[in-house]
Order: sequence, then C-alpha cells, then structure tokens
Amino acid sequence: MISLQKINSLNDDVLEELGFTWHTDSDATKYINDELVVVTQDEAEAYYLAGNEIYDMFVVAAEHVIENNLFFELGIPFNLVEMIKKSWENDVHWHIYGRFDLAGGLDGKPIKLIEFNADTPTSLFETALLQWALLKENDMNENRQFNNVYDAIKENFKRLITLNEDTELFDERYDGWKILFSSVEGNDEEEATTRLLQQMATDAGFNTSFEYLNNVRFDEDGIFDADENQYEYWFKLYPWEDIGSSEPELATTLNSIMQNQKAIILNPAYTLLFQSKGIMKIIYDLFPDSPYLLQTSFEPINGIKQVEKTVFGREGANTKIIDANGKIVEQTDGEYDNYKKVYQEYVEFNKDSNGEKYQAGLFFAYESCGLSFRKGSEIMDNMSKFVGHVIA
Amino acid sequence: MKHISSLANGVALGSAGVIMMSVLSGCEAQQQEQQQQNRFLVIEQQANGKYIVAEEMPTDGPNRAIIREKDAQGNTIERFMSEEEMKALAEQEYKKVQDGTSETVQSGDSSAGMGLAGTILAVAAGSLLGNMIGNALMNNKNFAKNSASTNKSAYSRSAAARSSKSSSSKKSFFGGSNAKSSSQGSRSYGG
Repeated sequence: MISLQKINSLNDDVLEELGFTWHTDSDATKYINDELVVVTQDEAEAYYLAGNEIYDMFVVAAEHVIENNLFFELGIPFNLVEMIKKSWENDVHWHIYGRFDLAGGLDGKPIKLIEFNADTPTSLFETALLQWALLKENDMNENRQFNNVYDAIKENFKRLITLNEDTELFDERYDGWKILFSSVEGNDEEEATTRLLQQMATDAGFNTSFEYLNNVRFDEDGIFDADENQYEYWFKLYPWEDIGSSEPELATTLNSIMQNQKAIILNPAYTLLFQSKGIMKIIYDLFPDSPYLLQTSFEPINGIKQVEKTVFGREGANTKIIDANGKIVEQTDGEYDNYKKVYQEYVEFNKDSNGEKYQAGLFFAYESCGLSFRKGSEIMDNMSKFVGHVIA
Repeated sequence: MKHISSLANGVALGSAGVIMMSVLSGCEAQQQEQQQQNRFLVIEQQANGKYIVAEEMPTDGPNRAIIREKDAQGNTIERFMSEEEMKALAEQEYKKVQDGTSETVQSGDSSAGMGLAGTILAVAAGSLLGNMIGNALMNNKNFAKNSASTNKSAYSRSAAARSSKSSSSKKSFFGGSNAKSSSQGSRSYGG
C-alpha cells in the first residue's frame, strides 16, 4: 500500500489565474487531488534511472523498425513513413519531450513500462507547475520533489540549436530562428499546454509565436502564421497519426516542407514510432530480459492475464482486460477500434488503502526530468485524477 | 543529485515561476498603461554583496522581480518584489543620480554588479520611471555601460546578439544537410 499525505488544495480562482481552467472534471469532481503520494529518495532515483534506460531501448527499437521496414506492423500511416525516416536521419529533428506511463515503482513493486507518450503528451502543466504550487501553497520544502520539468524542457529547446548535451553555445549559434506553437482552437487544456511549451522556449531564448492550427498556412515554401510570418520551427500539439489519416494533404505538404528544409516540425515525426504501442512488442523482442518490460505480442498471449490495446488509442479508450482464460473482465469503448491491436501482459498498479490505483507519469526531456501520478481505476481514463508527490 | 533538483521559490520555473509566485503571494497582475516593455527580473546577489540581473523576461503584466540573496548562514533566500517596491527603489536611486552619487552613473567596471536599487534602475528605468527619464539616463554613457554590464540574462544577451548580426552571416537552422549517421548507438537523444 502506498502512503499519502493530506494537503490543502489550490482553490479554483488561483488555478484559473494561473491559466489552469480544467480543474473540474465533467462529473463535477476535482481533477487535482488533495493528497500527495509520498515517494522515497530511492524510489525517485529509480524512476529517474528507469526513464533513461527505457529511452535508450526505444532508440534501438526505432532503429530496428526503420532498418527492417516494420512500419506496417506498428500501424504507421503509409504517408508518414518518409517523414519518419527523414526526421530520424538528422539530429536537427530533436525530440523535445515525452512522458512514460509506468506501473509500480512504489512500495517495493518493480517499475514496468505501460507505454510512451512521445508525440503529444499532456499533464505537463500539472507536473511542471501545479506540483510545485501544491508544495508552495502548503509551506512544504520545495526541494523535496522530483520535478525539473520546466528547466529540462527549456534546456532541451536550446539543443535544437546546439545538438548536444552542452547548451552553453546556444547564444552564440542561435540566429533568431522562430518557433510557431499550435494547438486546436477550443481545447483549453491543449492550448495551455502548448502555450506553456512556448513560454519554456521563450525563456530558452527563442523567438516564438502562437497560432491556432486552423489559422496556420502551409505550402511547399514553408509554414506561416495568419500574418504571413514564416517560421523555421513548428511545434504542433496534434497527433502525427491524425495528420496521416485525417489530413493527408497536409501530410503531403509537410513532407515537401521537410524535403525542402523549409521548416522543422516538433515533436519529430519519428516520435510516432515511440508512440505506437506496437513498438512495445519490438522492444520486448529486443530486450526480453529488461526488468522494465512487460511481455507484449501482436497476437493474444496464451494463459496469462493481459491487456488488449490499440496501437494509437489515447486516454485508455478501446482497452480490454482479458483474464488467463481469455475472458474479458473489463473494457472501454472509443474511437480507435480500427487500429491494430497489441496484447500486453497485465500488471497491477500501486494501490492506496481504498484500493485506488496509481500510475506514474515520468517526463523525459533529454533525460528523466519529473514525476507525476494519475489516480483511477483499472483502466486509466480521462476521469483519472492528478496527484502530486513529495519526497519523504 | 542534480536531476532531482531544487525549484527553490520557482526560480527554476523561469518566467512561469514569476507568474506563479505572484499569483500565490496574492500580488495580482494589474493592468496598467504600457509605456516601455515591462519585465520579470531575477536579481541575484553575488558573493561580493553586489547584485546582477540573472534572468530577464518581457511581460505584458506589471514589472516584477525575484531577489535571490544569501542570509547570514549563507543559505539562499528568495523574495518576491512587486512593481511598487521596485519603483520606490528606482526613485531613491534616481535621486542619487540627480545629485551625482549614484553608482549607476560612475565610470569604471560594474560587471561585478551594483547595489540592489542601482541594479533595478539600471535595467528597468524606462518601464519604472517613464520613457523620458529612461531615455535621459541611457544618454549618459556610464549609465548605458553599467546597465549593459549588470544584466547577465540570456534574454538581453541574445537580444544583443541578434541585433548585431548582419543578414550575410545567416546560418542554416537546418544545421547543414549532412545527416549524421543513424547507426545504432550513435544517437544523442537518450539520457
């Protein structure tokens, strides 16, 4: 059982003033929990190491997918394959940030990778800022948290220019290139997440701007905002697979833009390889002895409790938990049923005294950089709650 | 343990931290007439007791600052400073400018920093006291030099670098088209 510490929550007015408007879920419950998960220093350290090691395995697995042309197995839309390959070949397509979803890590349970949200991760605002504000508001020692998210992503933006660990040379090499940030109009959470990333890039020293997706103009010569300003970088909080399947013309144009080196698109196209749950099978095949990996297959696995997922499902949609006899014990509907399926060995999440389950979210920006928790039931969905943490 | 790092008073949160600090401490952003670009400043006390500007971020809200100092035990203490407090210090320093005693208008090396009031006046005179005073001060060679050398923020340095580059030195953001080898293990994204 994990231990929790009761705290005063931030009131809604304060949250809204901070730009955090999605504090109440559609069932009128509070999204931000008024408890913190108590994590030991060793547990925090183990999460840190796990994220770094897991990322390295993803890099090897992605290389394997590209060399062996396994895009179809991962459910990658065919019209994105060229961009994925191209982005993989050149480091200027730098991966800004992602979030690993992990089971275990507390209370003696081993850390197990559930999936990697590498393309368009949210929970960023909560982890980078509210986690900090919760400790601050409760007069707790702010050093007792694993949360370097803001600074780590800021530094990683600098690596778009320096292309290596050392970001010292950013000022010398940066020549005023601009990043345009975009999200879908009308979605507060995605917009706040995108604007927070914009703020991090601005703090890093970039010239930046924001434009809703529907107002961005694309042609073979580049990417432009509504005022016809051209941008060298475009960050989109919009899934690559949706560009491939729902916006095929845009995919074609982006391919030309990348080919003509008119703009760099972030997160890079190859992050879709990481994002596909199909890669969990590839990684498991390549690293069967890794303590962090669960057995994963493209076919139902005989004789063990397992979870069926779609390669690109989000927020726990289209997920089935199947027991060792092949009986479905729990399932969710959703809009992702047309995608390929993968089967992953079932693992229990950490639980509190009420039996509520906790999934760790580990942010990664060049290295593991921050921790958050989601509390929910067996399948984590968009009613799950954000829970901060404190290092004991 | 560097990676499980300190966020003491939000300084590691950059401009977002300044907003968070001001909301949590109840100093709401009040709209005011814009004159010069307002800033968030992080002002840091050096070992010699002098101050420099470590971070500077433009803002649409009022001027605000975080002052990072050492207490008697050598612990880093941070406090939030509202626009009113900054203004009061700037005015006090400006009086010294008028009677010629302010270090902001002295010649000599100020790269080691200045007093707190002098530092604030040097970097934010225009937005705190108005453009007329700001411009008049900037016309003073010593003041302009001190203003530049006390400001160590990446923002002011990159702004200066940008304006000094000619278009002929345009580099490619694509970093040349030479693709690095993508062979296994050579990638540098990982931790």
